[in-house]
Amino acid sequence: MKKLATYGVKPHDAGMKSDGQQWSLMEKLLLGLTLDQYIGQVLRNKLNWFLAIIFAIGIPVILYRFVFSLGAVTHSSYDYPWGLFLGFGLFCMVPLSASGFMLGTTVEIFGRHDFEPIERLALLNGLLGYFFAVVYLLVDLGQPWRLSYPMVYSFGPAAVLFLVGWHVATYLSVQVAEVSTAFFEWIGFQRGYDFIRKGTVGLTVSGIILSTLHQGALGALFLYAPGKVHPLWYSSAFQWIHFFTSSIPAGLCMVICVSTVVIYTMKWRCDQRFIDNLDRITISLAKGAAMGLSTYLIIKLIAVAHDNEWAYLMTGWGAWWLFEIVGFVFAPLVILSYAIRNKLVGLCRIGAFITVAGILLNRLNTALITFNWKLYQEIPHKWEIIISITIFAIYITTYRFILNRLPILYQYKSKADE
Amino acid sequence: MVHAGKQLMTGLGVILLSAVLAVGCYAMDYPEEIEIDSLVNLYEAVVFDHAMHVDATENCSECHHHTTGTGVANEYCAKCHNGNEEMDLVACVDCHSADPLSPENLHNPTPDFVYHNDQPNLKAAYHLNCIGCHKEVDGPTGCEDCHAKTEAGDKFYHSGEFAPKESAHSSGH
Amino acid sequence: MSKITRRRFLAGSAAGGAALMLTPAQKALAAGSFEGFPEGMGVLVDLTRCVGCRTCEAACNEEQHLPEPSKPFDDFSVFDEIHHGQKRRTTDKAYTIVNRYDVKDTEEPLYRKIQCNHCNEPACLTSCFVNAYKKTPEGAVIYNSKVCVGCRNCMIACPFHIPAYSYHSVLNPVIKKCIFCYDTRLKEGKPPACVESCPQQVMTFGKRKDLMKIAHERIKKNPDTYVNHVYGEKEVGGTGWFYLSNAPFEEAGFDTDLPKKPIIDNVKDFLAIVPMVLTIWPALFTGFHLLATKGKSHGHGDDHSHDEQEGH
Repeated sequence: MKKLATYGVKPHDAGMKSDGQQWSLMEKLLLGLTLDQYIGQVLRNKLNWFLAIIFAIGIPVILYRFVFSLGAVTHSSYDYPWGLFLGFGLFCMVPLSASGFMLGTTVEIFGRHDFEPIERLALLNGLLGYFFAVVYLLVDLGQPWRLSYPMVYSFGPAAVLFLVGWHVATYLSVQVAEVSTAFFEWIGFQRGYDFIRKGTVGLTVSGIILSTLHQGALGALFLYAPGKVHPLWYSSAFQWIHFFTSSIPAGLCMVICVSTVVIYTMKWRCDQRFIDNLDRITISLAKGAAMGLSTYLIIKLIAVAHDNEWAYLMTGWGAWWLFEIVGFVFAPLVILSYAIRNKLVGLCRIGAFITVAGILLNRLNTALITFNWKLYQEIPHKWEIIISITIFAIYITTYRFILNRLPILYQYKSKADE
Repeated sequence: MVHAGKQLMTGLGVILLSAVLAVGCYAMDYPEEIEIDSLVNLYEAVVFDHAMHVDATENCSECHHHTTGTGVANEYCAKCHNGNEEMDLVACVDCHSADPLSPENLHNPTPDFVYHNDQPNLKAAYHLNCIGCHKEVDGPTGCEDCHAKTEAGDKFYHSGEFAPKESAHSSGH
Repeated sequence: MSKITRRRFLAGSAAGGAALMLTPAQKALAAGSFEGFPEGMGVLVDLTRCVGCRTCEAACNEEQHLPEPSKPFDDFSVFDEIHHGQKRRTTDKAYTIVNRYDVKDTEEPLYRKIQCNHCNEPACLTSCFVNAYKKTPEGAVIYNSKVCVGCRNCMIACPFHIPAYSYHSVLNPVIKKCIFCYDTRLKEGKPPACVESCPQQVMTFGKRKDLMKIAHERIKKNPDTYVNHVYGEKEVGGTGWFYLSNAPFEEAGFDTDLPKKPIIDNVKDFLAIVPMVLTIWPALFTGFHLLATKGKSHGHGDDHSHDEQEGH
């Protein structure tokens, strides 16, 4: 795309061409390029080749899983019923997708329109994260075709997972509605756009409710396993608060990370408003993340004090816990605070990447690494890892496909510039 | 529990005990051999050499508690039973139900005021008594040391000719 | 996927609110201090009697029509099997397992039979989001595999590591565990196959409350033999199957750190906030919105246009 830009080719970004003609859907899908130009830039992009290699290996493995059962691609462990698909796919993707409700709240509820240039990216990040969490779930469920049972057929309302299921499902619908405004603009469906915009506040508030509850509920799921999760990662009083508060820096830092990747690799797609505002917004987001991190850090320490678990800190597990807390909560907190104070955007971004890594580590620690700490640790099956990577690659591909087209990083114009 | 013993006689039990009546050990009027075939579907009947065990033990009370008039082996029992009187009921099956799991036994549990409300059933009374003592005196303790398995038994345990194929394969290594 | 998403969307918008509001109410019913059905049956397992003959395993296999075992049931080399440093556990092919433990200070090894303990307030039941599990008045914890989605939350929740999953089934993988022989025996008042088969009467079948008295009486009459604890009397709210042992329970592989309260009690704090969030949040955040946007253009009205730059 960069190469094309040097020839003066501009991507599609408006309802009408500069000569007043409507774009056809095909032209929109090809980003306003000719087919040759489009294929040319696809083939030039090395990331596409990399993704193609992953798909070539991973998609047959996913098919293999559905043809030859879950037992064929996992260790079929009775002691670790939840492997990488849920440990990474559900428990990591969902907090990293808290961005949707965070920025929805900021812009729509608190009226902070200065965050608007990044709002849609945050919403899209939320939608895709949840959607792919469900994709991971579908791969992991023994009988994915029964996914609708808790919704329509057999209710277990006393279960936390029932709450998670309902909330993720309804929240996914809310997010589809929120992101649909961008889609309606893009296909030129003004009435749909107007209809959704009218309900924005309602959608956003329901997003906050659903997010508060299911981000917390993911933590509460582990309350069923008091003896299995290591006490340092388990707190009957605070588990849901830990998951909820940590989802705040997780969502915000994920937006910083995605926007960083975008500004370095897809600058052609960003409009001037996005580019001009990004540094300011990054620092503001980092402020929010730092606040969230400090709250999270304090509650983590309170939980240890509450259950009087200091003695565990002297064990090997304690060292691992300190590694997580010092290296991935305290350190990014210091980095972010320093960067905010000195307005260092680059350092904010580094802090954000560490925070995201910390959330991954925390969720994997809770769901897999310290789970069954009294029994044994298990390394996921190689095909389980390959499938997880492949689904993540599909996630990235979808993400990129949408960012390239819908007005997420740029504002949709009624008519293209000359 | 005494009446429970009587019920048994009409119960499902296929225990063939030679008629055992109130006979003191030292009268030497006890069955020489007892054939036990309650597990006959899985194992062949066991012929219990009662005479040999009478010779091998010092005192009938070691197995028959206080009922044979030969004292009491367990001092706990002596709190109530002086053990110097022969009882009417001496045979194991008279007190240890051969069919504890029959509907009437299950649904008419021993009333609370009956002290002996936790007796092992006959099968368990044999095994607990035999194996417990055999361990001390190095007697046979393995299942098949006493019981020869039938074909049905092999099928039940997936052993012998019914052994899993992978197992036969792996044991060949 | 699109079909499901659509269906979820519809169900979500229609029934969502109602079902969510229902959650706390249903919870309140399940809460309280349920101590099991008064006439519920149970089994007292006396480990001091077990000689490790594995007849119960064979009986279970036959009764439940389980697949052929990998080793004969009279092969005692299974006691030496170690997977991941662990002794054998229940699987989708074996609902009960006997393990051997070497206990300090005695020459005799201790054998322990493992199967579903049929909790009074089962964690599996309370964690199941399709309500597949049921605690019957007879005392069994059974499940309806026809609604099992395969989330395996019950395996996470079970404090005894009991439920297993038929991972290798392509079209109908489901949870598999001991059901107290409910369908074939317990329903008719009969004891499960393992109990009946045991040569040593390690297991005594009866009403839970009667058996509990017997258990305590055995300890009282033989204080030198037994550890003064009935494992399962109080653990996780009480279990239908409970244990007597002559060695400390942790030496026989029991988890002695389990809470005395039912597992669901851990989750109640969280479930209690659900109705609060559902009722308070909408008013709170709509209020914030009105406060924050007072005097400004009211949110994004219809006039909102992305073509305008919104300067701040």
